[in-house]
Amino acid sequence: MKRRLLKEGIVGYAFISPIVITIVIFILWPIFESFYYSFTNYNPLRQQEYRGTFNVQDMLQEYLLVLDMKDLDREKLTKQFNSVDFLKTQLGLHLNQKQIDAVQRYFNSKKLIEDFVNLKLDRTMSVAYFMRAYMIRDSYMFTHYKPAWLGWKNFTNMVHDPYSWISLKNSIVFSLVVTPIQTFLALLLAIAANQKIRGIKFFKTTFFIPSITSSAAISVIFMMLYSKPGVINRLLNYFGMPAIDWLNNVSTALPAIMLMNIWTTAGYFMVVFLAGLQGIPASLIEASELDGAQGWTRLWKIIIPLLKPQIAYVVTLGLIGTLQVFDQIYFLIKAQENYTTAMYIYTNAFSYGRMGYASAIAVAFFAVILLSTLVQRRVVREETYF
Amino acid sequence: MVKRWHTTAAIAYIILVVYAVLSLGPFIWALLVSAAPMSYTSHGKHIGIDIMRWPPNINPFVIPPRVFGAPATLHNYVKVFQVVPFARWIINTVIYAGVVTIGNLILDAFAGYAFAKIRFPGRELIFSILLATLMVPGQITIIPVYNLMVKYNLVNTYYGLFLPKLTSVTGLFLMRQFYMSVPNEIEEAAKIDGAGIFRRFIQIASPMAKPAFATLAIYTFLGTWNDFMWPLIITSDKSMFTLTMGLNFFKTSYYTFWQLMMAASILMTVPMIVIFLSFQRQFVETGVTSAIKG
Repeated sequence: MKRRLLKEGIVGYAFISPIVITIVIFILWPIFESFYYSFTNYNPLRQQEYRGTFNVQDMLQEYLLVLDMKDLDREKLTKQFNSVDFLKTQLGLHLNQKQIDAVQRYFNSKKLIEDFVNLKLDRTMSVAYFMRAYMIRDSYMFTHYKPAWLGWKNFTNMVHDPYSWISLKNSIVFSLVVTPIQTFLALLLAIAANQKIRGIKFFKTTFFIPSITSSAAISVIFMMLYSKPGVINRLLNYFGMPAIDWLNNVSTALPAIMLMNIWTTAGYFMVVFLAGLQGIPASLIEASELDGAQGWTRLWKIIIPLLKPQIAYVVTLGLIGTLQVFDQIYFLIKAQENYTTAMYIYTNAFSYGRMGYASAIAVAFFAVILLSTLVQRRVVREETYF
Repeated sequence: MVKRWHTTAAIAYIILVVYAVLSLGPFIWALLVSAAPMSYTSHGKHIGIDIMRWPPNINPFVIPPRVFGAPATLHNYVKVFQVVPFARWIINTVIYAGVVTIGNLILDAFAGYAFAKIRFPGRELIFSILLATLMVPGQITIIPVYNLMVKYNLVNTYYGLFLPKLTSVTGLFLMRQFYMSVPNEIEEAAKIDGAGIFRRFIQIASPMAKPAFATLAIYTFLGTWNDFMWPLIITSDKSMFTLTMGLNFFKTSYYTFWQLMMAASILMTVPMIVIFLSFQRQFVETGVTSAIKG
């Protein structure tokens, strides 16, 4: 019996190992790494420096101003060769003080010049390989990039960076505007579709289509609709109103995208609500009718309370989705004043190469999201007991 | 009473019709633009066309039909394949979405079955840790994961694209729920008949979870097909782009090729609509199940 349980246990672990391993590699470990990065000046370009390859002989010829490889004077060349200067100017490495000290102490210039004169270096190698070959010790400093420890500097910078606050504000406003409106709209559509009328299937299908379309395609379609000469402005003109440059105007860009976002998701949430509405027993509605509850009273006192699980689900999904909005911002926003936090993290990390700073913002943002999730759980739970 | 019902129904109809127009409007406009030529000649005169004009001047009753006053054409759909490596992007997207879907179907199912039916120490703890990762926003993991990919030379490769997506906790949760609904009695009976865990998983429980597999497959395929953020980060080489990445290509700093951009958008959206229409039941059913879950 015991052996069978043991065997079952092993099979269990085997079954879950793929997902556990991928989650550890791609989610859990990265969280710790992000915390670490957030205290450093991590720059991906620096890491790349050690993997860059070059032709050693060409570089040395250039550096030592040697045109002809015949009859070279070793002594003179060794004297002429400055290892730190060569690494910095010729290979373009960014060295910190520790690395400079190590190079000065352990770089084997003599061996390098010897190999150079003996024409052994006419080949390409990576910086890491080169350093391993010519450093007597401590070559590890040049194979694995180690960012400098900054302490809390990234976080103090973040607090003093107006754009980190602006982007956070944009994300929160985006979330707090879009979530209630799309929830309300979805509910309204669901209630309308729940009347005993024909063609519900058509409406359901139609409303669902925006939510299965990629955010990229939706973004470019709306880029066209919202453009200065676009059809929305033509319609406004048609009704005698002035044209607005929706996406290039700092004050209208985000509201325009919010509207687009509501349009994208309301249909999906409507289907969720409709399923909930159809699950309400008809007898309950009839009973309420006998009690004289009609119209708004019935909606508020009977239907909405019964839809609480669906509302909780829609609001939770809505908040999570909108707080992290990125794709649409990437496609449609130009001004940094309109960036959301996700976009600001992306630009810092991948456009400016400031991954340490970007990680600090991501860590802070993670805290904000956790906090909002906890608050929301609390509210939802209390409401259900209420 | 009857009159009251009529007014309610009328209001409901108005709301639904207006929103249906709003839902389809942007797609219809994109379709019209994708069918418009860049310019055309009429009576020897070269005429530019205005794809933003209102009303759009459609006439479907002539041959060829007219959009924005110009003869409609399918030329843009051909041109998309000529000016950018669109076929390659389709292949990349199919590989990305296909491999990720297959990976999730297999791996999430294994784990879902284990968490539902197999007893082993630490089961609940591991499951709750996995569930907790659902609250982790992508922004915090994306930088280290990118660096990992750089370290192992996986940037601009298919492996780099799909490896981080091969499993998902949402998929695991869905599969576990379904396996839990398989009655234990059936499992016990199979056990008495001498069926091992593996056979019970493959031959007894999994066939009963078919709807779950269908739902997982559809949602995973759709989500990966439409995914933008990860391809944006992991691909920089044009030949490795997915369709969502490619859309940006029709916009240069001087000029946006709206006709081509819309043709490309339509081309990448149509497969999803086809999938949606053929598997509508799964979509709507998940609406129900997910609502219950919430």
